[in-house]
Formats: sequence, structure tokens, C-alpha cells
Amino acid sequence: MAPTGGRDLTYCAAIREAIDQAMGLDPRVFCIGLDADDRFGVFGSMANLSHPERVLGTPISENAMTGVALGAALSGLRPIHVHLRSDFLLVAMDQIANYVAKWRDMFHGQVAVPLVIRAIAGRGWGCGAQHSQTLHGLFAQIPGLIVATPSTPYDAKGLFLQAVKDDRPVLFLEHRWLYKDTGNVPAEPYTLPFGQCRVLHEGQGLTLVATSLAATHCKIACEQHGLDVELLDPRTVKPLDLDGIVASVRRTGALAVVDYDFPFGGFAAEVVAAVGERAFDALPLPPQPLTFPDRGMPASQVLERAYYPDPERIAALLRRMLDARATAGSAS
Amino acid sequence: MERTTTLQRADALWLLRRLRLIRQASERIAKLYPSNVMATPVHLCIGQEAVPVGVCRHLRDTDKLFLGHRTHGPALAKGLPLPKLFAELYGRTTGCSHGFGGSMHVLDLEHGLPGSSAIVGGSIALGVGAGLASKLVGGDWLGVSWFGDAATNAGVFHESLNFAALRRLPVLFVCEDNGLSNVMPKAQHSATDIVSLARQFMPTLAADGTDVLSVYERAGEAIARIRAGEGPMFLHCPTKRWMKHQGHEPCDLAAATLDRERDCPIHKLEKFLCRSGLATRAELAEIAADVESEVDAAVRFAEQSPFPPPGLLEACRALEPPRP
Repeated sequence: MAPTGGRDLTYCAAIREAIDQAMGLDPRVFCIGLDADDRFGVFGSMANLSHPERVLGTPISENAMTGVALGAALSGLRPIHVHLRSDFLLVAMDQIANYVAKWRDMFHGQVAVPLVIRAIAGRGWGCGAQHSQTLHGLFAQIPGLIVATPSTPYDAKGLFLQAVKDDRPVLFLEHRWLYKDTGNVPAEPYTLPFGQCRVLHEGQGLTLVATSLAATHCKIACEQHGLDVELLDPRTVKPLDLDGIVASVRRTGALAVVDYDFPFGGFAAEVVAAVGERAFDALPLPPQPLTFPDRGMPASQVLERAYYPDPERIAALLRRMLDARATAGSAS
Repeated sequence: MERTTTLQRADALWLLRRLRLIRQASERIAKLYPSNVMATPVHLCIGQEAVPVGVCRHLRDTDKLFLGHRTHGPALAKGLPLPKLFAELYGRTTGCSHGFGGSMHVLDLEHGLPGSSAIVGGSIALGVGAGLASKLVGGDWLGVSWFGDAATNAGVFHESLNFAALRRLPVLFVCEDNGLSNVMPKAQHSATDIVSLARQFMPTLAADGTDVLSVYERAGEAIARIRAGEGPMFLHCPTKRWMKHQGHEPCDLAAATLDRERDCPIHKLEKFLCRSGLATRAELAEIAADVESEVDAAVRFAEQSPFPPPGLLEACRALEPPRP
């Protein structure tokens, strides 16, 4: 259900409000990151915070700074480590994959790791292969990380406040093309649970799973073309609400996954495989993933249009599947 | 070395007891290791005991020490109970990491050991994070980053020293320099010397890492200056690794240059204690015997402890709801 009773905020303002409230509610919360304290306020998401003394800029040292944030978390604080681009997370892969993600498992959960790593993810305009990646599939593969990919301002605020409250490390990926989207957001602090799908569009003919910007594009496709599709946004890639997805597939009998990320061993592949394991008998048609091609992003506008899926391509895929279902139904 | 130090007898005996605890525990591990009762890679620190013991005498339980893969010495020096270490090496549920960590991942929150890492270099940053936390909340603890000479080749070393210096964080960097990166001598892995590197960022102090009194003195000075608010300090301790990088065998590389009497931290301290009259030969023998009983008891504790049930893995998936 769409939230009501709040005010309209942009996705960016919802995240800013969540950070500000998290810092106000708990003096152990602080922000750290490259350009975290500069005058642009991380694309506005950290502009004019109420506790600027707890906002620390860092040198371009993503790997060590992730370790610093982890060390602070292990010393009782609750850091929010911010990255302007998710591509920069790969510089810190040792700390994220070997340290942050593993610390609880290595010591059998004896120590809390209350660390939020946020990154602004996804394409810009002609940004090419190193400033356009989303990477949620890669990080979800690593045990020990929660990977949140909210698509709406309401989800962004609620999931962010849950991330700060959680004693497990959370990777919070915010798609830059969602930053100006608006939606209803309650003014007071609230949390949303990880691992629960939200229905973004109702229908019976097909289950469509998508998250982050892909979910928003899927919603546009369904609405503009009046498609009989149930659109589920898992909101967190990890933990993944497989029960919710499988229940929907059992109702509709078809599955498509739209994922704005790389294809091989990624989120779309995981959903297709997991649904195949649990509900193969409910699928008369092969499940269809729609993802980026298995290559780095191009820069030219013409190539970008060919590379990136959009609402029109999503609608075309869904129409093909719905038609195939109808044909299969009339044949039987 | 002639000393006119005002070392207290209590401190001196503490130093000796910890040196012996680490040495005798390590020797027992080496002895038992070929029988495979400890199915985990061990990086022994025989010969290097002076560094952790001399430093940790000045640390408090609230100071947070982050270690690399060679954990046993600094962990025991900081206060990790020996039975919990042996139980961890034996893979038992009573181990300091409940059997999930092994030799390279030890934790003891009560004694300021929030964990250790087997990836060389990375835990240097975690000590800086502990220092940052202390500074942000006005805490009274230090962050301590513990690493070997080879870790100074990692980018995270430079990033960590730079940030600690920029923010004047209460962090002690301890370089336990055994001159070997696995089997690679320092001359092959470092184009410049470590102290000159570190000095670009912060004051450095050097101690003889085979002499516990030397480490004790210089570490005392470094830690006092950090506690007084002077910012981070770098303590360089050249020492000698008697054993292979990993496992229970003596290091063949060291054989030519190593004198097991002259380079032995225990021998040096005992000689000093007798000469200065701080302890008698009989007292020294008694300490050695006490420690040996302690090692016996720790091994017995490990042997008698249960293994973690494999079903535990199902019950403790990383993404279960957090424990209350």
C-alpha cells in the first residue's frame, strides 16, 4: 500500500531526513566519507544536517576508511560511511568482503557490527563503465551483508532508519536517478523490516520482480500500458523475500525479473533459480530475466540507449510473456 | 645490557610470567601440532614475545588492540585466557571465538580484543577506527594497530597513518618487525626503511624487539604521550622469528643469524632479574613450573570441551534476526 498521511518529499530529502533523525536520536551515530562534509552535501542527501560536528570528510582512502568505520563500530559507535559512487566500493572490497561482512561470522556474533555503508549507485549521463555500476548482485553474494535497494522515498527513509538501528552491517544503495522522485513520507522516524516485498502494481497475469530504479521503470511500464502484472519490489536484495515471490508466482503462473545490474550470477539469475527450485511446477513458461548486457557501460547516448533497459523495453517483454501465456492457455 | 632502571619487582615478574606463558604455550602447540589435534594454521611467535609483553603491560582492558594473523602472543599478552585460546585451536565451542575463528581470528571483548584478521594489513585501519571512536566520544581508550614489517607495503598502511595523523587520533602503531614476509627478507619487499616512512606522518620510537625491558620502556613513553593528547605514535620493534611463517617447525632462514641465548627475551630478562636482585633463581624456576601447569590445564580444558554441533550453522545464519 502506498503510504499516506505524511508530506511529499524527494527520495534525496527522505534519506537526508532519515540521516538527520538517526543522528538526533542516537549520539553514537556519525557520518564519514570522501566529500561527506563538503558544501554539496553528497548530492543534497547530507545538506545542512543538525549535527555537523559528527560529519567527517576523509581523504581518497576508501579501503582504510572502511576499516576505520568498522573499528569505530566495534568500539561502540554507529557509523554511516558514504560513497558518492557505488563503483568506489570496489576500492574497499578487501575491507567490505573480508572484514565488515565476515566479522560477525568469524567470532560467532559475539560482537555487534552496526555499520551502514551507503553509496549512490547507477548510471548518470554518459558516465561510462566506472561511474555507472549498481553492483547489488555482487555484494549480495557475500555472506554477512544486508543489501538494501529502496525504490521509493517512503522505503528509503524507513529502511535507512532500520539500517542504522541494526547490529549487522548494511550496504544501502541509492540509485541516483531516483533522487528527484517524490512520494509520501511521514515526518516522524519509522523503520521498515528487511526482507519483505512491497506490491507496487497489482495484477494476475504475471509476477514481475524488480528493485531500485528498475522497480520504478517497471511500475511506469505497467501503468502506461495497463498490463495485468503483479509487480513486487523486494526492497532488500539480501535478505530476499523468496516466500513472497514464490507465493505470487503460484498465483500468477509466470515470472519476469528486471534487474539493472550485470547478468552473470546476479540478482535476476538468483530469483529465477530460486523460484525454479521452489515452484517449477507453477511455471508453464520459462522465466525471463531482463538485465544489462555482460559488458561495461558505454558513454555515447546512442550506445547507452541500446545498453540500458527502459520502461518501453520492459513493457515489450511483459507483453510478449502475457501473450504467450494467453496462447498457451487457449491451446490447453 | 646494563640497566639502572627503577623497574618494580611486580612489573618485572608480570613481564616474565607473560613471556613464559606465550613461550611455553607456543612450544606446547609446536609439540602437539603434528598430531593434528589443532586443525588450524598456526603462526607461532617464539622469539618475538618481548614485543607484545612489553607493550601490553601499559595497556588497559579498555584499550582496543587489533591484530593480524600472528595472534597468540599479543592476544595472551593483552589478557586472553589461555584455556580459551587452546580451545579455539582445538575447534571447540568453549574457544574464544566458539570454534568459528581458529588461530587467526581471536576475540576477547573483556580484555580489549575486538578481533583479528588474516588478511595482512587491513586491521591497521581498525585500530585507527577505535582511536577515532575514542576521540569522537571523549573516551579514555587508545586504538592499537598491530602488524609486521611486510604489512607496511600495503596501501592500507599509508592510508591509516595518514588519517590518524590528520585527525591526531589516540592510536599506537606497533610494528613487530621480524624482517621476513613469509620467507621473503625485508630487503626484497621494502625499497625504503619503515621508520622513515612512518616518520613522515608521526613521531616514531624504536625498541629492541628481543628485549622486553627495552620495549617496556619505549612503549611506556609512547603510550604516555598518546594518553597526554599528543596524537598517534609509531613504535618500531625489530625482532627475530625463530619458527617458520606457519606451523611447528623452526625457521631455517634464521638459523645462521640466530643465537638462541643472546636473542632470547626470556633469557635476557631472567639474567637481568638475577643480577639486579629483583628475583632469585628459585623464584624463576617456580614461575616456569607454574606456567607449565597453566599450559597443562589449558590443554586439558580444550581436550575435554565439546565440539560445536554442525547444526549450529543452520541456527546462526548471518541474516537471522539479531540476538536480543
